Amino acid sequence: MSISMALLSPTTHLPTLSPSSSHFKPLLTHKPFLSLRPKNHPLFTIRASAENGAGALGSVATAVEPKAEPEVPVPAAEAVPVKSESSAGANGSPGTAEEVSVVNLFEDGRWVNGTWDLKQFEKNGKTDWDAVIDAEARRRKWLQDNPESSSNGNPVSFDTSIVPWWAWIKRYHLPEAEILNGRAAMIGFFMAYFVDSLTGVGLVDQMGNFFCKTLLFIAVGGVLLIRKNEDVENLKKLLEETTFYDKQWQATWQEETPASSSKKK
Amino acid sequence: MASATQATLSLFAAPLPAKPRSLTIRCLKSTTRTTNPPIVGRKLRAAVIGAGPAGSSAAEALAAGGVECFMFERSGPSTAKPCGGAIPLCMLDEFDIPSHLIDRQVTRMRIFSPSNLAVDFGKTLLPHEFIAMLRREVLDSYLRTRAQSRGANLISGLVTDLEVPTSVDAPYVISYTADNKRESLAVDVVIGADGANSRVSKSIKAGDYACAIAFQERIKLPDDKMDYYQDLAEMYVGNDVSPDFYAWVFPKCDHVAVGTGTVCSKQDIKVFQRAIRARAHSKISGGKVIKVEAHPIPEHPRPTRVRGRVALVGDAAGYVTKCSGEGIYFAAKSGRLCGEAIVKASEGGERMINEGDLKREYLKEWDGKYITTFRFLDLLQKVFYGSDAAREALVELCGDEYVQRMTFESYLYKKLADGNRWEDAKMVLNTVGSLVRCNILGKKMQGLKL
Repeated sequence: MSISMALLSPTTHLPTLSPSSSHFKPLLTHKPFLSLRPKNHPLFTIRASAENGAGALGSVATAVEPKAEPEVPVPAAEAVPVKSESSAGANGSPGTAEEVSVVNLFEDGRWVNGTWDLKQFEKNGKTDWDAVIDAEARRRKWLQDNPESSSNGNPVSFDTSIVPWWAWIKRYHLPEAEILNGRAAMIGFFMAYFVDSLTGVGLVDQMGNFFCKTLLFIAVGGVLLIRKNEDVENLKKLLEETTFYDKQWQATWQEETPASSSKKK
Repeated sequence: MASATQATLSLFAAPLPAKPRSLTIRCLKSTTRTTNPPIVGRKLRAAVIGAGPAGSSAAEALAAGGVECFMFERSGPSTAKPCGGAIPLCMLDEFDIPSHLIDRQVTRMRIFSPSNLAVDFGKTLLPHEFIAMLRREVLDSYLRTRAQSRGANLISGLVTDLEVPTSVDAPYVISYTADNKRESLAVDVVIGADGANSRVSKSIKAGDYACAIAFQERIKLPDDKMDYYQDLAEMYVGNDVSPDFYAWVFPKCDHVAVGTGTVCSKQDIKVFQRAIRARAHSKISGGKVIKVEAHPIPEHPRPTRVRGRVALVGDAAGYVTKCSGEGIYFAAKSGRLCGEAIVKASEGGERMINEGDLKREYLKEWDGKYITTFRFLDLLQKVFYGSDAAREALVELCGDEYVQRMTFESYLYKKLADGNRWEDAKMVLNTVGSLVRCNILGKKMQGLKL
C-alpha cells in the first residue's frame, strides 16, 4: 500500500514544487525546501518496506518515495536548479543481486570530487565561509536522512578544518560571547549595587573582600556554565555520568559483609 | 561414579583442619599468607569453567604453578565463535602465539564518518606492526591444547550447576553433564571463565551487567572484491549503522565479517545491519552470506567479581573495553593473572586460599594495571560516540598522524604510548576545535529540520 501511494505522490507533489522553486531565489536555494520537511522518524521501517517490494520495481521513484513520504520535496530540492528532475531518475539504477538499495545521491553543483569547490563560493573576490558552512550543514543533514554508500570511486575529503578559525569565531563565538558578557555585566552591576546598599561597602572595597570574591567567582562560573534552562539538569547528569563507569568498577570492592573473612588493606 | 564422587568428597573432608574463625581473623592483621592452612596429601584443586582464551590461560598458569586444574568446556574444538577475531601485537608476544595461526595481518584501517569522510589509519605503522586476525576456533583450541600439555585436565561437558558451600572449609561442587552422564566434581577454587552468560556468576550471585549486542554476517566475496580487503579493515560510524557503537567490515580467512552492535537499541539491530550493508554496498555487493551470528558483549564489570573462592575472569567478569569492544586480550590476561594469583597465594598448590587472597593478588593487580585504560576508553566512547556531530569530529581527528600513532601504539602494546608534550597539547586543542566545529554544524543541521 505504501508503494501505490508512492507512485501517486510524485505526480501530485512535484508540479507544485517546481514553480515555487523559482520564487526562492537567494544563494541558499535549498533552505526553504528543507525547512518544509517534517520529522521523519519512521525512516528505517519505511526503507525496509521499500526494499522488500523494490525487487520488482527498480526505479528511483518508488525507492525514494517511501522514504520521502513525509518529505516529498526531496528529489526536487536536491536537484539543483541547473539540473532537471529527470536526473534523479538517471542515477537510481539498481544493480545488485541481494538488495535493491536504490538511493538518491547527494547532488550539488558546488560539491565536486568529494569536497566543496571553494571557487564557487566567492563573494566580492573572497570565499564566503558562511555559505560553505551552510552548504556543509545541509549536506550532512541530507546524508543523515539518506545515508549513502561509501564508495572508493568518489571519496569524501571535506574536513571542517578547511574553514579558517576566524570564520568560526566571527560567526558563532562572538554573538554568544556578547550575550554572556552582557549577562555577566548586568549581574555584576546589580550585585555590586545590592551589596553596597546593604553593607555600605563600595565597589573597590568589595573586591578586596574574600566573600565578595567568592560570589564573583560563582557569578562568572554560573554565567559560563548555565546558559539555558536545561543546562542545570544537563550538568547534573554529566557529573553523574562521568562517575558512573568508575562506580561500576569499584562495585566489587564495595560489597563487603561483616561476616566475610576477607579484608582488603 | 557415585562412589567416585563420594571418594573425592571424602578426600576433602579429612585433611582440611577445622579452624575457621581464629585463622581468618589473624589474616586480617598479618599481611603474610602463611596463615593459610596447608593442604596435606594433595595439591590445591581448581576448576576453570570455560576453556576459551580466559579459561585456557588461567588453566595454563595454574597447571604450570603446580595446582591441580580441571577445565570444563561445552563446545567442540572447531566451533566458530561470533567474534571480531582481532588481537594486538602484545598478545602474540606475551602468549607465544605462533604466526601460522594468523590468517591475516591487517595494516590498514579505514574509518568512515556519517558523511562518508574516510580516513586511512595505519600510515604510522612500522613494517613489523600489524593487527592479527585469527579464527577464534583456531586460537582457542591452540591455547586449550597448550594448557593441557602443561598438565591441565580438559573435561568436555556442560556445567549445569555450581554449589556454593555453606561452611568455610567445604568444597565447591560442580555438577556437569559429560557423555550424557551427570557427574560432579568437588574443588577448592573455581575460576569462572564462561563468558557473557556466565553460569558461575549466577551461582555466586555476582550481579548483572548491561550488555551490548554484536551482530554480524559473514559474507563470502568474489575474489576481486576480497583483494580490496587484503589487509584492510573498515569501521563505520553514524546513527544509521549504530546509535552508540560502530559497524565494521573485518576481513577473515577467506571472507569478510560485516556487522554492527548497539547497547540501547537492541531491537533495531537488523535495521542497523541493513544500514551497514548499504553503506559498504559497493564493496560487498555480489557476496554471499554464509553465516549470521550474534552475541552479547558486556559493557562494564559485574558488581562482584570475586566471592569466596570463586573468581570471574574475561567476559564473565565484564572485561571488555568500551569504544573498541576489545575483549580477547583482556580475557587471556585476566585468566593468566588470576591463575598466577592462585598459585602465588597457595604457594604452588600447597596451601588453601581465601577470598582476601584472590582480591589482593588478582583483583587489585588487575584494577591497578588496567582501570585507567578502561576509564579512558569509556571517556572516548562518551565523548565521541554520542552523536553524529561528535563522530564527525572523531573521524576528522583520526586524520592527524600523531593521533594515529598514539592510538595504534596504545592498542598494539597496551601501554600508554609516550608522546611529545607539545604534540599532546596540539592534539587536545585540535580535539576541542573539531568538536566545537562539528557541534556547530550539528546545531545548524538540527535547525534545518524545523
